[in-house]
Order: sequence, then structure tokens, then C-alpha cells
Amino acid sequence: MVDVNNLNVKFGEKHVVHDVSFTVDKGEIIGLFGISGAGKTTIVRVLTCQIEKKHWTGNVMVTGLSPEKKSNHSKILSNIGYVPQLELLNLYFELDPMVNVEVFTSTYGMNKKRAKETAEELFKILDIPRDTWKKRVEKMSGGEKKRLSMAIGLIHNPDVLFLDEPTTGVDASKRYDILSYLKKLNQKLNTTMFIITHDLESALICDKVAILKDGRLLEFDTSQNLISSLPSEGLIARFTIEDLNEKLIAFIKKFPSIRRIIRVGNEAIEVLMENFEENLPKLIEYMVDNNITITSMSKDIATFRRYFQIRIQKEEEEESSLKEVKVIRK
Amino acid sequence: MAKLKKKPLTLNFKKFKDKISKIKPNFETLKNKISKPKPNFKKYIKNISNLKINALRILKQVIKEFRLLWTDKFNLLLAIVIPPLIIVMLGLTMTDAPSETQSIPCMLISYDSNTFINPNNFTESKLDNYTMPYVEAVNKSSMLELVRFYNATEEIYAMEAARNALISGEIKVILSLPVDFTELLEWGLPGLIDCVLDASNIQYIQQSLNSVYDSIKIFVNDNNLTPQFQLQGFEEFTIPEGYSNNFNSSIVMALSFMVFGIALVLSILVIVQEKPIARLLLTPVKRSEILLSKYITYTLVLVLQVSLLVISGLSMGLYIAGTLTDLFIALFMIGFSGLTMGVFISSQSKTKTQANQLFLAVFLVAVLLSGIFIPIENMPLYLQVIAYILPLSHGDPLLRGIIQKGQSILGLHFIWLLVISIVLVIISFVIFKRRKYEV
Ligand SMILES: Nc1ncnc2c1ncn2[C@@H]1O[C@H](COP(=O)(O)OP(=O)(O)OP(=O)(O)O)[C@@H](O)[C@H]1O
Ligand SMILES: [Mg+2]
Repeated sequence: MVDVNNLNVKFGEKHVVHDVSFTVDKGEIIGLFGISGAGKTTIVRVLTCQIEKKHWTGNVMVTGLSPEKKSNHSKILSNIGYVPQLELLNLYFELDPMVNVEVFTSTYGMNKKRAKETAEELFKILDIPRDTWKKRVEKMSGGEKKRLSMAIGLIHNPDVLFLDEPTTGVDASKRYDILSYLKKLNQKLNTTMFIITHDLESALICDKVAILKDGRLLEFDTSQNLISSLPSEGLIARFTIEDLNEKLIAFIKKFPSIRRIIRVGNEAIEVLMENFEENLPKLIEYMVDNNITITSMSKDIATFRRYFQIRIQKEEEEESSLKEVKVIRK
Repeated sequence: MAKLKKKPLTLNFKKFKDKISKIKPNFETLKNKISKPKPNFKKYIKNISNLKINALRILKQVIKEFRLLWTDKFNLLLAIVIPPLIIVMLGLTMTDAPSETQSIPCMLISYDSNTFINPNNFTESKLDNYTMPYVEAVNKSSMLELVRFYNATEEIYAMEAARNALISGEIKVILSLPVDFTELLEWGLPGLIDCVLDASNIQYIQQSLNSVYDSIKIFVNDNNLTPQFQLQGFEEFTIPEGYSNNFNSSIVMALSFMVFGIALVLSILVIVQEKPIARLLLTPVKRSEILLSKYITYTLVLVLQVSLLVISGLSMGLYIAGTLTDLFIALFMIGFSGLTMGVFISSQSKTKTQANQLFLAVFLVAVLLSGIFIPIENMPLYLQVIAYILPLSHGDPLLRGIIQKGQSILGLHFIWLLVISIVLVIISFVIFKRRKYEV
């Protein structure tokens, strides 16, 4: 569905995306993760024909067509859907949802009756209350607007749907709702979905996740695969320790098989180590011997959130060590 | 020398070889060209079907524009209902007061008192025998209403009192007979009357002078005086009887402002306001289609607005010396120049506030430099240039020409309006194509 090979994006001197390559198959849900400024939006802009060719190089195919050629744009755009972050940019607030649907479907040359039927179907799946169908969008709740926005993105049954931060600014319970709606739609329509997000919970519904940092693609795989690539397949020991401080953490870090310690709270750390089952008792012993008070302990598999944190941390450490090397060389 | 000769030879030969090898691909392209017509034809058909879809898309966009317009009832009211209403109101208030029957209130002061010494018998006599006949003539004239007559030889504060009356608006004219009024007439010389006019309202100046002239005419006739010149006036471009002068002259001024201003107001937000254009551009619809549909929509609104204006004007007794078609086209053109200016401003404004501020600035400048308030010839050169670029300085004379003088629409004013509109349309398309939209 989407093929990206050696994508580089430069705005003048600013190199925003470096050598990004990945392939997405039909029906997959892809999560694009990365801290602010990583280049998520920029990549999606290339895929959705929003960036002029002079700014990027590489081989990009969206639904079998390259955005490189201007003549392909309208075809690509009719094969994809887009759900922007801000509803204000997507919906005519003065008009009602059905008219909004009409405005957008007419651009694809869809006939009115079919558009209406599809809309009703989508509205039902997305639980958009029937009494809002004929009222101004203005009067809908935030969540309803978001779902209407999703319905409009899907109205022409696109092959690929791009969603920009669909769960940002939505409260926790609604966030799961939106994610489950997306999964439901994905299963029903077999739409390939691209989700740009900061929200690491979204990985739950993603078949594959892409992690971006400073325009580089660090990882592109299923989140399970990524997590099990951690030491001991991602097993994590969580300790709550009395009077925890940085010194103490540094001390615990000295234990030989420990790969990484992450402070996850005021008094809590999570520990990743080699040969988990074998080394855990030894670690506990080491801590007790050194008068560290463990108030509680649990064993778990790393979440994607943890994985992401670790991966970004690792990257930063590597970068800074690289810098040090450079400084020393100088 | 021999070596030098050899080199160019080989080079030439190579070039020749190149030329020969170039012929082959040329031949192939020729072949290609011959075999091409079929795909070309297909392409042509495809283009036509594309065109159809585009037309449909534009139509749908136009429908969208109308829907958006419909949601903004105030704007619609402003565009469609208010202008004809203004015309009707002007008509109702102005037709009832035909200007001819209204007489101008005035005061007359006579200083006429020269002493005449008879050279034969050296008798002195005061010469003022033409004063009263003139007072009578003023009284006789239906165009003047004599509020008061002062004999300045008896009342020394006459002029001051009259001036106060002029200030308060009680009268519009002070007539004053100079010291040698009678004397000059006795000698058979041209008489002289001083006349102080209230010039604060331009409308009254001509009317006042006309009425004073009327009184002089009566005076001369009644007293068998022979004036040096008999001036006979034929008024051209007057309005036939049954039509209101006031209504006509105010309509001409109001029409060009109204059509231009409302078109500008309607279109000023048309692009900045529509946020979802950003998302719309992620569908197959093209930028040019979006803008074109806006132009089509607002042009249709303009046509409706102008038609209603013309109809209400005619029904309220507007006299048009020229043809109705010319008037319609002229009004349309003035409105269209406002429309294109509005879209242009909108296309390059970043925010609504900015567009609104620009609207006010442009409208004020256009009105002030329209030539109605200050004659353009009296402006400094740089203002003249700006004035002539702006549409209202052409719209007003164009309308006047058609309504009052029966001119044809064709002429420099019309051509300029056309040119400036076309230029603005082109610029707005270019700007809109480059406008940044991000979702
Ligand atoms: N048109 C542009 N000109 C110059 N620089 C740009 C342009 N667009 C994006 N950038 C830069 O590219 C980098 C990546 O931007 P991008 O919007 O892709 O980040 P992002 O990952 O989507 O971040 P966020 O999560 O905050 O949306 C940023 O440093 C941004 O400043
Ligand atoms: Mg972004």
C-alpha cells in the first residue's frame, strides 16, 4: 500500500527526514511515534502530496502511485483519507454533518445517495447520535466532532487513512473509545491506517510501530517484537525503594547484569537485566546486603511506553557518546 | 603548421559522425510521431471526461458556497435586502420635494444713497430711485423669499444682522445694493448687485444664483432697462418633468458606493474565513476550482443584487438617460471590481482581523479618492495616480455618464474597470495557489 525508500526531506539547509524506508501492507495499522519535531508530520505530508518535490528525494509509492508526479496527486488524494488534528480545519462548523459529508464526497465525484448511505453506516459504527445529524456541527461535543471527522476521512472508502493525533486532547476513557473505533473500522473496511501520535497507548491497536527521532527511523516492527528485543525478552522488575535518590540508583546500577534502570516514580524504579530469572534473586540479595529498603517488588513485561522510553534514552546516550568521541578527537 | 592543420580535420570528422548518428533517433521520433495519434485521441477523450468531472466538482463547490452564504444571514441581508431598501427610502423622502417650488430665503440691504449734483443748477439730490423697484422685483420673484429689507443709511447694523441670519440658517442669501446702484443705472452703465451666498452646502449655490438672476430679470423687464447682455440659458442633461432631481442626483452617488462597498464587504472574508479549505485540498479538488467556484457564487449574488437595485431604482422614479443594459453592466462592473478587490485582499490576508482592517482602509481610500468629495485634478500627483488606479474614480463618472448624459458604457472608464478587475482576478489566483495550507 505504502512504500517508502530512502526518503530524505530538506527545507533549505534543514535536513528534516534522513533516509527513511519502510513498507506497509494492506489493512495494517501503523503507529508513527516520536517526540515533537521528530518528523512524523513531515513524512505524512510527503505521502499526502503536501510537500513539493523539490524538498524531498527518494522513492515513495502510495497506493501504487508516486507523489513525485503532480499528475498523480488527484488520484492519490482520492485513494487516501485524512483526519487532521484540529476539527476546525476539517469540518464546516456552520453546516450540519450530512452537508459536511456532501461537501467532501462531492469532491470525489461520489453520488449523493451512496454518500448518504455510507455516511449513515459510518455514523452508526461511530455512535454519532442521530439527533445531531441535522444540527450544526458547532453544537456537537468534542468527541462527536472527532468521530465525524473520522467518518469523513473514511467516507470514500480510501485505501489508506492518515490520522494526525487522533487521541490528543481527548480524556483517557474516550481515548480508548477512539482507538477501539479505529480498530473496528480497520477490521470492517480493511483500511490501512497511519496514526501519527504522541500517545504511546495507541500502540495497542497498531500492527506495526515506527519510532522516529530527529528525522531518523529508529525502529519499524511490531511492538511485541520490539519489546522482546529487550534484554530477557522485555522482562522487567519493578521495585519501590525507600528514600530513593540518584546516588542509590547509581549504586544499584553497578550490579553486573543490569542493562538499564528507569526511574518511574518518586520511589520506584524498573530494572532490565540479562538472564532475568537467574539474576533477580541475586540482585535482591545485593540490595538487601547493602541496606537498601525494598518496600515492594513486582515482575512484569515491558509496555510499549517503557520500550519507547528506553529506545529514545539509548539513542540519546549513543549520540552523546559519539559527540564525546568527536570532542576527544578534536 | 602541418600538425595544426590535422587537428581541426579530425575534429570536423567527429562532428560529422555525430551528426550522422543523430539522424537515426530523429527518424525514430518521427516514426513515434506517426504512430502516436491514437493515444493522443484517447488522451483527448480523457481530458473531456476530466473536464466534465471538474465542472461537476465546481458546481458542487458553488453549492457549498451558497450554503455557507446562507448560514450567514446578516451578510445576505446586507447584500440583497438593504441596498434596494436604501433606494426605496431615498425615493420616498426625495420625490415629494421638487426643488423648483422651494424659494430661497434672503435679506436685502440697500446702501444706495449717492448724492447727485446737478451741473446746471448745482442742486443736490439723493439718488435712490431704483432701490424700491428692485425690492419689488425681489418680492415678485417666486424663487426668492424676501425675509427682510434694510435701508443701511438708517440702520447701520444691517449687514451684521443679516450675517447672523445667514449663520443661523434663517436665510441663504444676502443681497446688497451698493452706494452707486441708482447712479450707475442713471448713467446707463451696467448695474452691480453684491450677493453673499451660503456656500456651506454646494447644492444651494447654483440654486441661489439662479434665483438672484431671476429677480434681476424681473427688475430689468419692469423698468425698461437695457442690460448690456441678454443671457439666454438652455439647460442640457436636465431631467424631464415628473422625475425628481434630488432623487436622481443622490442615487447616482449612492449607487456606486453601495455596489462597490457591499461587494467588497461580502468577499473580504471569503478565503481567510474558510478554515476547512486546508482539508478540502487533501481531496481531488483543485485550488483553482475552489477559487473559481467562489468567484462564480459571488458573481451570481452580484447579478441578483444589481438587478434588485435597478428594479427598485426604476420603480422609485429614477430617470436614466442612457440604456438600461448599459446601466446594468456598469453597476455590475463596479460591483465586480469590488468583488475582485475583496477576494484579492482575502487571499493574501493571514487572519480575519487583518482582512477587516484592510477592508476599512481600502474602502475609505477608495471613497475619499473617488473624486466625489475632492476633485481629482486638485490632488497632489501621487494621490491622483492612486485615485485613477482605484475603481470608484471610474465608477462614479461612468454611472453619471449613463444615467444623466445618456452616454454609452464603452469608454476609458469601463475599460479601466475591466482591466483592474481582470488583473486582480489573475493576482488572486496566483496568490491563492501559493497560499499555505496545513492540516
Ligand atoms: N516547511 C518547513 N520548513 C522548515 N522546517 C520545517 C517545515 N516543516 C517542518 N519543519 C521542521 O521539521 C521538523 C519536523 O517537523 P514535523 O512537523 O514533521 O514534526 P512532528 O514529528 O510532526 O512534531 P509534532 O509531534 O510536534 O507534530 C521540525 O524541526 C520542523 O521545525
Ligand atoms: Mg506533527
